Amino acid sequence: MFRPTLTLNYDRVLNTLAAWLLALFWLLPLAYAGWTAFHPAEYETRFVPFAPLTLENFAQAWSEAPFARYFLNTMILVTGILAAQFTLCTLAAFSFARFTFPGRNILFALVLIQLLVMPDILIVENYQTMRRLDLIDTIAAIGLPYVASAFGIFLLRQTFMTIPKELDEAARIEGCSYLGILWRVYIPLAKPTFLAYGLVSVSHHWNNFVWPLIITNSVETRPLTVGLSIFAVTDAGIQWSVINAATLMTSGPLLIAFLLFQRQFVQSFMRAGIK
Amino acid sequence: MFSNIFKTAGAATVAAFGFASHALAVDLEFYFPVAVGGAAADTIEHLTAEYVAANPGVNIEAIYAGSYSDAGQKALTAARGGNPPQISVLLSTQMFTLIDEDVIVPFDDFVSEEDKVSWIGGFYPSFMENSQTGGKTYGIPFQRSTPVLYWNKAAFAEAGLNPDVAPANWDEMVEFAMKLTKKDANGDVTQWGVRIPSAGFPYWLFQGLSTPAGAILANADGNKVNFNGPKVVEALEYLVALSADHGVMQPGSIEWGTTPKAFFEGETAMMWTTTGNLTNVRNNAPFDFGVAMLPAKERRGAPTGGGNFYLFKDSSDEQKQAAVDFVKWITAPEQAAVWSIATGYVAPSPAAWETEEMKAYTADFPPALVARDQLEFAVAELSTYENGKVTQAFNDALAAAIAGETSAKEALDEAQAKAERILKPYQ
Repeated sequence: MFRPTLTLNYDRVLNTLAAWLLALFWLLPLAYAGWTAFHPAEYETRFVPFAPLTLENFAQAWSEAPFARYFLNTMILVTGILAAQFTLCTLAAFSFARFTFPGRNILFALVLIQLLVMPDILIVENYQTMRRLDLIDTIAAIGLPYVASAFGIFLLRQTFMTIPKELDEAARIEGCSYLGILWRVYIPLAKPTFLAYGLVSVSHHWNNFVWPLIITNSVETRPLTVGLSIFAVTDAGIQWSVINAATLMTSGPLLIAFLLFQRQFVQSFMRAGIK
Repeated sequence: MFSNIFKTAGAATVAAFGFASHALAVDLEFYFPVAVGGAAADTIEHLTAEYVAANPGVNIEAIYAGSYSDAGQKALTAARGGNPPQISVLLSTQMFTLIDEDVIVPFDDFVSEEDKVSWIGGFYPSFMENSQTGGKTYGIPFQRSTPVLYWNKAAFAEAGLNPDVAPANWDEMVEFAMKLTKKDANGDVTQWGVRIPSAGFPYWLFQGLSTPAGAILANADGNKVNFNGPKVVEALEYLVALSADHGVMQPGSIEWGTTPKAFFEGETAMMWTTTGNLTNVRNNAPFDFGVAMLPAKERRGAPTGGGNFYLFKDSSDEQKQAAVDFVKWITAPEQAAVWSIATGYVAPSPAAWETEEMKAYTADFPPALVARDQLEFAVAELSTYENGKVTQAFNDALAAAIAGETSAKEALDEAQAKAERILKPYQ
């Protein structure tokens, strides 16, 4: 009677220990960023428990670039892309999942091929397209190449395929239109996938740098990452405290959002099967 | 219905008005990279605004384009996409690549004979080495630099050295560095004698060794390299020996970005890095420091570095002329002085050093003069056709020798063979 509980505890202790260790490793860079950002530069590489706290690094970082405007631009960018991706990918995924039409498999294969193409090699081509559309230096130009997301279509199609046909048929018997079925049956049941895909999309576009830098020219259209790049300078020596303050500041909203919705995210990732 | 007509009419008026003002003013786009922090971007934007205010005929949009490599990518993408800027500051070493891509034109056609002498002839010749080829001027020096040696006077005094004298030659540098290297009771080094950063692009500071040794790495046409001459090998062996034989420099690859920090924290008593760091060191070093030319071997020598103005091809002659006029203004002595003081870059013409602002600045801070004086001995930064690939081959060789994987001679022979293969079509 005594033994089983002991082995059980032993196993649990090991598990907990490993989890803590992993969590610590994951937290370490963030903790270092937090430490340097809130302390004067002298404490960058020194740990003194009661070192004076300061917000000066944030003030300096904030003043190096028009971050308020960049925040607004990034917000517009990621919400715009997400809204467009949801609309397009949902409709495309729905038709791939539930309709049979000539050329469906070829079309779907073409969509999958897009997954294999590195976006970087399309930069010049995309630039020319944006120029013909007269969209250079607009937020729309940053987002457009990413709107028809193959990953989104694929992911949603797979999810839609798992939804029992009976639900679909029942709704149709009740007189629901195709769009009605999509809206009332498929989308509600695929919520975890939408949430998971949304997180991946938002964090990717929040962090995207090269394409926005190339296609935009002015403060009114540029996202946060371009503002952040002004700190990545080597000629004058790296100031870790200011860089970390800027990094925390720009990634803050994402971190806070993740912590707030953590439970939903973790659950949706497990259900959607993205790992 | 009526409101629609009014709207259309309104739009037409706006369009017509827009065209009218278009015809009056020349619109220019100007890309600039920043390698020394946000203040540099402000200075460029202020200077541009000042020029536009004084010249109603042009409208210049100064566009921040990231780091040097980002700016190069942005400018090339825009040029290939049919929408290049009229002018851009890019690395001086990109000249051959930009010519090869056929996206830039020489300045010569837009400069009067008189200006060729007084303006283009007015820059330091060592800066023009990376700016001219085949008798034409493709680059106008703007944010240029050169590496120098910084030393910690307090550490020199502590080691029993004269705190006001820097090592003048290679032997002295080793000798000083040996005295400056400190170890704790466990035999771990607490202060290195010297630090020559090598991560990422080791070739640049290595030119601070190969040039004094008497070697020039590439010809002026950018289609031949000398990577494995006996003097280049000698220079690399010296660099490797600093860690391997003398034990005065941290072994392995050394980061650039953290080098000033290591100097401030006393982890090294001497460091080699760009003059672009001068303002940073002045503001942050907690001890007295000195700045000196790089030590000599057969001769003194160092590479130049940094960025030039380039004139892009795909624009009207009117735009090109306006662009050249702007470049002429911003590189004129007064503006060059403002720029140099704000950033620490080396003012590119002797006349800029004669301005009142510059004289006041150097009187207050004499170390700023060291870089200028070194220009007399400076040579072109390594630059060839297919610059990225050729430089990469050389960097790989340096990195392999620094890591101790191969001998200096073997690594350099291999780099030479690779570079010759790459450059074959250009010979």
